[in-house]
Amino acid sequence: MHQVEIATTQETLLDSPEMVLNMGPQHPSTHGVLRVVLRLDGETVIDLDCDIGYLHRGMEKIAENRMYTMIAPYWDRLDYIAAVSNGLVWVETVEQMMGLAVPPRAHYLRTILTEFNRIASHLLWLATHALDIGAITVLLWALREREEILKIFERQFGARLTCHAWRVGGMPNDAYDDFEKDVRQFANNFPKRLDEYETVLSENRIWLSRTVGIGVISAADAIAIGLSGPSLRGSGVPWDVRKSRPYAAYADVDFDVPLGENGDTYDRYLVRLEEMRQSRRIILQALENLPDGPVNAKLPKVVKPPVGDYYHSIEGPKGEIGCYLVSDGTAQPYRVRVRPPSFINLQALKQMCVGHLVADVVAIIGTLDIVLGEIDR
Amino acid sequence: MLLLGPVNVLNDLLLRFFSQETINFFIWPLIQIGLVVTLVALWVAYATYLERKISAFMQARLGPMRVGPWGLLQPIADGLKLLTKEDFIPEKADRWIFFFAPYIAVASAFIVFSVVPFGPDWAVIADVNIGLLLVLAVSSVGVLALILAGWSSNSKYALLGGLRSSAQMVSYEVAMGLSLIGALMFARTLSLSGIVGAQGSDSIWFILYQPAGFMLFLISGIAENNRAPFDLPEAESELVAGFHTEYSGMRWSLFFMAEYAAMVVVSAVAATVYLGGWYFPFVYRLETAGYHNLYVIVSLLVFLVKVSIILYIYFWLRWTLPRFRYDQLMDIGWKWLIPSALINIALSAIAIFLVQALNGYRGMRTIESLDRGLNLTATGKGIMIVIGFAGVFIIAALLARINWRSRDFNLKTQRRNIRLVNLPKGKPAVSVSEV
Amino acid sequence: MPLVKTPKPTWSQKLKRFFMIDLIKGLGLTLKYNIGAITDKDSVAGKGIYTEQYPKVRPDVAPRFHGAPRLNMDPETHDTLCIACNLCAIACPEDCIDVIAMDVEIIVAGKPRRKKVLDEFIFDTSRCMFCALCQEACPTACLELTQEFELATYSRAGFVWNREMLEQGRETVKYTS
Repeated sequence: MHQVEIATTQETLLDSPEMVLNMGPQHPSTHGVLRVVLRLDGETVIDLDCDIGYLHRGMEKIAENRMYTMIAPYWDRLDYIAAVSNGLVWVETVEQMMGLAVPPRAHYLRTILTEFNRIASHLLWLATHALDIGAITVLLWALREREEILKIFERQFGARLTCHAWRVGGMPNDAYDDFEKDVRQFANNFPKRLDEYETVLSENRIWLSRTVGIGVISAADAIAIGLSGPSLRGSGVPWDVRKSRPYAAYADVDFDVPLGENGDTYDRYLVRLEEMRQSRRIILQALENLPDGPVNAKLPKVVKPPVGDYYHSIEGPKGEIGCYLVSDGTAQPYRVRVRPPSFINLQALKQMCVGHLVADVVAIIGTLDIVLGEIDR
Repeated sequence: MLLLGPVNVLNDLLLRFFSQETINFFIWPLIQIGLVVTLVALWVAYATYLERKISAFMQARLGPMRVGPWGLLQPIADGLKLLTKEDFIPEKADRWIFFFAPYIAVASAFIVFSVVPFGPDWAVIADVNIGLLLVLAVSSVGVLALILAGWSSNSKYALLGGLRSSAQMVSYEVAMGLSLIGALMFARTLSLSGIVGAQGSDSIWFILYQPAGFMLFLISGIAENNRAPFDLPEAESELVAGFHTEYSGMRWSLFFMAEYAAMVVVSAVAATVYLGGWYFPFVYRLETAGYHNLYVIVSLLVFLVKVSIILYIYFWLRWTLPRFRYDQLMDIGWKWLIPSALINIALSAIAIFLVQALNGYRGMRTIESLDRGLNLTATGKGIMIVIGFAGVFIIAALLARINWRSRDFNLKTQRRNIRLVNLPKGKPAVSVSEV
Repeated sequence: MPLVKTPKPTWSQKLKRFFMIDLIKGLGLTLKYNIGAITDKDSVAGKGIYTEQYPKVRPDVAPRFHGAPRLNMDPETHDTLCIACNLCAIACPEDCIDVIAMDVEIIVAGKPRRKKVLDEFIFDTSRCMFCALCQEACPTACLELTQEFELATYSRAGFVWNREMLEQGRETVKYTS
């Protein structure tokens, strides 16, 4: 583990002695094994540094020694909360590099199921974010809805969390028999549930005072750091990969992108809530227009992309998940590089936290929506 | 009468060894104390069960279900588990202080039960004439336990928790004490039995005279007990577990018991001062009909029901509201609660003065008698209640004006809305200025 | 914290905040849930309690679930369907399958022929990530990931399943209370 250096950036109040607090890796609200070293003046954060790597598994290296078809299940383990989106970026990169034409039905199903994954991920974010700020009941309410989505995943993919949802060229299975019924039932109930969360949180004065003006990051700073996803849109930057570089069936569905104004925790909260509503809209549209036909493209016996490199990215729940792939023409990739949204979003932590209290650090880690599996890879 | 049969037999038995005076002043109190401690400990244990059940229901869960029917034996299983767990002491901890801090917490919480009037006559251990003062004084010793625990653990999280708890409890004690004064002006006694008597003789609950005082007392009571949304000393998502981070096994459970016992104490005091204690309309008819012990027992049950209602409010708030931040907590304490309590005292004084001044004005009769506290007629009560409820809004309005520029919790902060933009498809990055 | 712009509140917003409507609404919702849980009714989904009491009530696992592996047998002859082609072992990203084949001599149409048959099949469930690639690679639908999900054992060795376990299933204690 590398030595964490903390520079004193700010004069302390009245020469009071500073305290270095080691938050994590075993801490209930660092969302995994993130270690944050805080320099505190009283409870005010003067400086902080993140120490990561406790969950490093060498995913990119593993990928160099696996065949193209075998890598998708590993990609589920990057951001295990959004396994479906992560799997999608891998298979789409390979497909586009090979120039495979994926049948439209597979594209639509991919759209529906990745949007479900977005809702599931945002629900888990809402649950843990609310828990960090102390609204414990919302945790279980949000997980209850997530359970419905996970049941759909289980029926469709055969697993709940790390689904191994996609195969290069399409999907392993067509939609199961009651798929449409389950989706519609979820879509019917979900807006009412969202309203319930809003009743407890959105207007609550304690919630407002804990989130408004906390962890402010301006649009220019957000772009400079390279934030993406809801964290970027909370600052008011109109950037959504689904819109700017439509993949799967996103070119055929109509949806709005929520944009915040101030770039504080409350804005990001509202953006994510609205994204869940928009996801539901996308799901219903895609379900309405779901074409018939096969779900698998015709695949060569061994998947071998042509020599060259390729970058493809999709809009994951946490931001832009990218995959850079270098192929040397064999059945195994030469080099794979992931653009991890959580890792890049985490870089904003210091800028957001300095000057706030310890309690706000927890809220800000929550609002960045990081997953350590993806940061450490 | 049947109920007291064994008691008389026991009294006769004791008379063989002791004089009646010794029995009255020594033996009976000891028996009462034993009973109360046992029952309160049981009550505290089942308060945890209730909290778990209620929180589960609010979260669409079932809660403990596996130990006994509906998980009814869960508190006992928990207690057994905690007793058999390792009592771990960190190497660098201050051993003796680390040892004794939990006992201070539990003792300060349990001593208060000595003056709580559970019912009339034999259902109160000590009817001290400064009962309320004793409650406030002893429960404030509890903060010492938290500071000592936080300091002796030699852990930064525990230290921060201890610091938070000391600041929080000291500042909320002021608000708690001040909020009671309004009710004391009507009761004109500090004895808890006396306060119940004052409400009984006047056939009214002080919550009607003092709704603002009741709310203030409840809020500062929650804060005093370190319960959510004021649970900063043990804020689990920030400070792991706050002052008891390093505690384990039975010592930890002593802190836990102290927390619940303190909660029961505050509920009991709130019920006594504002909800009429064991007094309930028409129950006294049992006394006049001659069923003295039945009367005591029914009164006791009434008291328990009232305390349970306030406990439910505790649970309810905890499982609904998010947690305050430390500076906001101080803001609420010093900028809202203490000024509110002071205004409440002034308003109560004005109300009493007004009622006394109106007595005899144009033939109005507001005061029945002044022998035992303040006995008011229906008109007087009406005036008092109107002023009391108007007071809530007067206080809130005044403070909203005073705190208009405060950082949080002013009327200005509102729910914001966000923009929904339908971005063009296939067009890469849109600059910030364009939207 | 006055770091962000706040829009000017309207009078109705101010009044709502003055009367603590925000807190009262939230408290009302939790109370509704509390009553809903006791009566087991809910306005949205129709049930108030979502707890599944697991060992007492078994969950209904989806037919596609990827759980414990199994080697299917021919339902009539009770011979294994496995042809020892090793495709599952090749497809496995984690390399947790070992197919050990042996050659036997059989008489086909009067002539002796050598045939590869399955001798032993090792499946290391501790390394398996249940991606179901082996199941998809199997040409005879022999290797299958079943709905069985209780895979815990007391030792690391217990995670390594041999052919007998894969064919007969592992004996587990099913707790029902």
